[in-house]
Amino acid sequence: MSIKTGVFVCDCGTNIAGTVNVPEVAEYARKLDSVVFVNEGKWICSVDYLSKIKQFITEHKLDRVVVACCTPRTHEPTFKSALKEAGLNPHLLEFVSIREQCSWVHKADIAVATQKAKDLVRMGVSKSILLEPAEGIRIPVGKECLIIGGGIAGMTASLAVAEQGFKVILVEKSANLGGILGKLDMVAPANVPAEKIIAAKMEQIERHPNIRCCTDTVVEQIRGYIGNYNVKLTQKGAAEDIKVSTIIVATGMREIEPSGLFGYGKYPGIITQLQLEERLKNKQLGPVKTVAMINCVNSKNDERGCCSVGCLISVKNAMAIKELDKDVRVYIINRDLSLLCAEPDYLKSAVAQYDIKLLRYSEDKPPDVFKSEQGGKVVKTYDILLGRDIEIAADLIVLTAAFQGDETAGRMKELLKVSANRDNFFQEAHIKLRPLDFSTDGIYLCGCARSPKRLKDTVEEALGAALRAGIPMKRGYIESEGIVADINLEICSECGLCHKNCPFGAIELAGKQPFVIKAICKGCGICAANCPKEAINIIHFTNEQILAQVEAALSERPQEQIIAFCCHWCAMGAVDIAGVSRLQYPANIRIIRVMCAGRISESFVNKAFQLGAAGVLVAGCEFPTCHYITGNYKCKEKMERLKKKLAGKNIEDKRLRTAWLSAADGPKFAKTVREMVKDLGL
Amino acid sequence: MNKPDSKNSILVIGAGIAGIEASLNLAAYGIKVYLVDDTPSIGGIMARLDKTFPTNDCSICIEAPKMYEVQKNANIEVLTNCEVRRVDGAAGNFRVRLVQKGRFVDSAKCKGCGKCVEVCPVTVPDEMDAKIGGTRKLIYIPFPQSVPNSYAIDNRCRYGKSKNEGACVGGCIIDCIQCRECPIAKCVKACKEEGADAVMLWQKDNTIDIEVKSIIVASGLEVFEPPTGFYGYGHYKNVITHLQFERLMNAGGPTQGDIVRPSDKSHPRKIAWIQCVGREKSCGIPYCSKVCCMVAAKQNIITKEHDESVETFVFYNNMKAYGKGFHEFYRRAMELGAKYIKGKPSDVIENSRTGSLAVRYEDIETGEVNEIEVDLLVLSAGLVPNSRNKKLAKTLKVAMDETGFFKENGSFGGDPLETCVKGIYLCGGAIGPADISESVTQAIAASLKAVLIK
Repeated sequence: MSIKTGVFVCDCGTNIAGTVNVPEVAEYARKLDSVVFVNEGKWICSVDYLSKIKQFITEHKLDRVVVACCTPRTHEPTFKSALKEAGLNPHLLEFVSIREQCSWVHKADIAVATQKAKDLVRMGVSKSILLEPAEGIRIPVGKECLIIGGGIAGMTASLAVAEQGFKVILVEKSANLGGILGKLDMVAPANVPAEKIIAAKMEQIERHPNIRCCTDTVVEQIRGYIGNYNVKLTQKGAAEDIKVSTIIVATGMREIEPSGLFGYGKYPGIITQLQLEERLKNKQLGPVKTVAMINCVNSKNDERGCCSVGCLISVKNAMAIKELDKDVRVYIINRDLSLLCAEPDYLKSAVAQYDIKLLRYSEDKPPDVFKSEQGGKVVKTYDILLGRDIEIAADLIVLTAAFQGDETAGRMKELLKVSANRDNFFQEAHIKLRPLDFSTDGIYLCGCARSPKRLKDTVEEALGAALRAGIPMKRGYIESEGIVADINLEICSECGLCHKNCPFGAIELAGKQPFVIKAICKGCGICAANCPKEAINIIHFTNEQILAQVEAALSERPQEQIIAFCCHWCAMGAVDIAGVSRLQYPANIRIIRVMCAGRISESFVNKAFQLGAAGVLVAGCEFPTCHYITGNYKCKEKMERLKKKLAGKNIEDKRLRTAWLSAADGPKFAKTVREMVKDLGL
Repeated sequence: MNKPDSKNSILVIGAGIAGIEASLNLAAYGIKVYLVDDTPSIGGIMARLDKTFPTNDCSICIEAPKMYEVQKNANIEVLTNCEVRRVDGAAGNFRVRLVQKGRFVDSAKCKGCGKCVEVCPVTVPDEMDAKIGGTRKLIYIPFPQSVPNSYAIDNRCRYGKSKNEGACVGGCIIDCIQCRECPIAKCVKACKEEGADAVMLWQKDNTIDIEVKSIIVASGLEVFEPPTGFYGYGHYKNVITHLQFERLMNAGGPTQGDIVRPSDKSHPRKIAWIQCVGREKSCGIPYCSKVCCMVAAKQNIITKEHDESVETFVFYNNMKAYGKGFHEFYRRAMELGAKYIKGKPSDVIENSRTGSLAVRYEDIETGEVNEIEVDLLVLSAGLVPNSRNKKLAKTLKVAMDETGFFKENGSFGGDPLETCVKGIYLCGGAIGPADISESVTQAIAASLKAVLIK
């Protein structure tokens, strides 16, 4: 069956028609392979023209549509819905940007702009012939959630998931719920007993019909993916297999024992803040007259950042000591006190009311703990405000120790195939915009498993994670948009690289054979570009389609052309900003859009050079931003390797260039093109 | 559109990153969302930042896709230039009256061609970038990635308010509804000639009544404006706030990312930051704004990345590098050569010939009194409540705290984000200083509370 392509070329008022000879472009399009219908419109995105497009699709039995107009970033959804409404699969649309990439940026010469517009349309049509219909791919998601960790984060999340009407299995490795909060005396700055908070939650959890609470229980194995997790639990030796759809990780944190630091373990009477909490809870401080707290133990150094909560804990516990015995002298030996929002006021009133002494040290002059000749412990510290050493004879020294992820975090990381930092705090999908997700769909995180934090922040994260897990369970399925990876198992050598490279855990191995969980696949193409056998294709951005664009671009005057492979997000963003800002740059550039720089295979670049392209530009998101987590990094490595190979083929270094752009980098994009054209002598 | 079920609808007030995240999560949950913002574009402060700490992600690069998602989402109705006028009823059934002010350009018809801007005769200082030389026309697009991506007309264009500045329809006193035929309204004419016919100077305010089961307040915050004369701010051209510096760094800002000083557009060789501006008794911010330390670290890193030979100094008191990756980020600034000085400058004196600034300070660590001359001085001003909070609190009948942020009900931290009115929840800068990550977390958490209302 022969393909019938319709091409719609837009004037955009005078925005395109003012610089590009649109009738000439339309006439040219008529002669292209597969094109059976061409129409020019003043505004092809207007409501009345869209209904015309639908009419033309039906009338001329079009099965491919190419629009030559503005930019897919803003108008692709508009035209896709038009196709859909005309009964055509929306993936059979190809978008050619002759405004942002042509009329707005090559204003000086109508002939040049018109020629480039023709080339862009030719490239679009050549890709459109190879387009395939794609369907959204769904997998069902049930209504059961596994919550790992029974601290305040896990308890709060459990209640919030259960309240939405979903079933919860709450797993806690120890005998009691409560986690690290259960080890605390009071919670600052509101001074509420921690026990009271936990008791209230515990009562709600026990009463809730949707929550099954398993203490003394260990997660042994996790297999599967969103909607389909098989989990093995053991409770005091008894194994049980359960099926859940989503997982929330709330495994919390633990104090790092400060062995060998400030006399800890060497002299008696040197404890951590958590050990002090135990004494405060029992109202048993012991025979103590002077307490010296040393903050930032094991933190704010080369290995580790700020522990986030130590300063607040030290102030709170200093007050608690004074409450127990107002005659005890308390010193807080700190580096900068990291107290936030209204907490400086809390400190101020603590100091005023309880006469707590603050001493400030710097990293290069840490306090020293030693035994005096009389046998007592002495803390010697250089106070930067006084500018001299101070010696404190302390009978209790409290070290504000740093934290790290729970001892189970390392194993959990393996079970869930997720990442964590050096201290085994789990890595969120994006630190700013996806703080409660892992990059793998269906697994969420909250609380101190992510990083140390205050109770309020922990509770907020737990509530948020409960909603994130609730979204697919409420909807009952997850769906991908159809731009997904497709593995040709006949070519596949079962090396497993795709499984390793996928940032989303969307490629699983059955034995050694890879398979794509299509509903999770984001279509970045990192797997495809790095497949040694080129056995992977990305629907809508197939090797054949991209190579067809390359060929079409270079079918005329290849020696004048620069082929640019640009990622959809930031690189195309920069291209569009250059357009909107009317930045003028040479017309030698022919842009081919891919979703991610990670998609760009060596073979694309090689093909361009084979066909005689003057140069190739590879453009992706500036570091560290990548909308697919690792795509730009992978691309950069690949292009560096490729440059070396090309040198062997006598292809000069300057002919392949990379640019890492932000979506606001219109000027940088224009400058890159100008420089490249100059370097290549075009 | 079918009349939405009020039992399945939620109102989100404020379309910064918190409001955007709340809306996207609610929409994904199957809720009909009304997202209102009283400016012409969604995006909030984040859309105007250059980078985000501690990863130096480009701010608009990660926010713009979310903004497009909002626009595309069939469950979200975006109402810009829109205010909440009245709220009646209770959780489960709030009756809300919204008033959408005229944009004077039909977003559905506007093609973003910019012909109207070319012909507009009046240039005015930009709200955000005025102090660093940013200007715009009376018809304008707030920023290139604006959603909706169409132009808007400043109210100052109307009723003769800008007649003396040369506005073309300076004589209009009432909306005569005949602008389309008006021989002197240049933007109307230009747009008609382009065939879009999107400019509607006669547009009236539109009253919209909706019913929702719950409300999320994500109205954001503002950067403190230092009083005139404070460290020379307002008197000396080369004393600016950190938000203004951020706009200087930004490729989307008025200098296209070229860091130049306002007085003579030269590249500063020495730049200093003064932290905790606003905490002074005379300024009256009683709390720590918590993000400014990281903002300064970020701006030092970016400055050094632009040009490593630029010398930078940060005057600070307590380093608040409290979050994940923050301390490492601060150390990175120091590794790149930023000099951190513990102490607060006492005085700033301008060299009237060069425009440079002599900063006098006492270094707390050494006890020495010193002076350095810098070419540009950045005031790390604190974050303050949104100036519209008071009006909004009254409309919603919710409480504010003594500093002017919305007050969370209950103090122990077990039930955060709740107000004294059941069914109205808070997130992000509405409650107090917050970074993007915290705002996003709170927005999702507040959404959870909002969906649970029956």
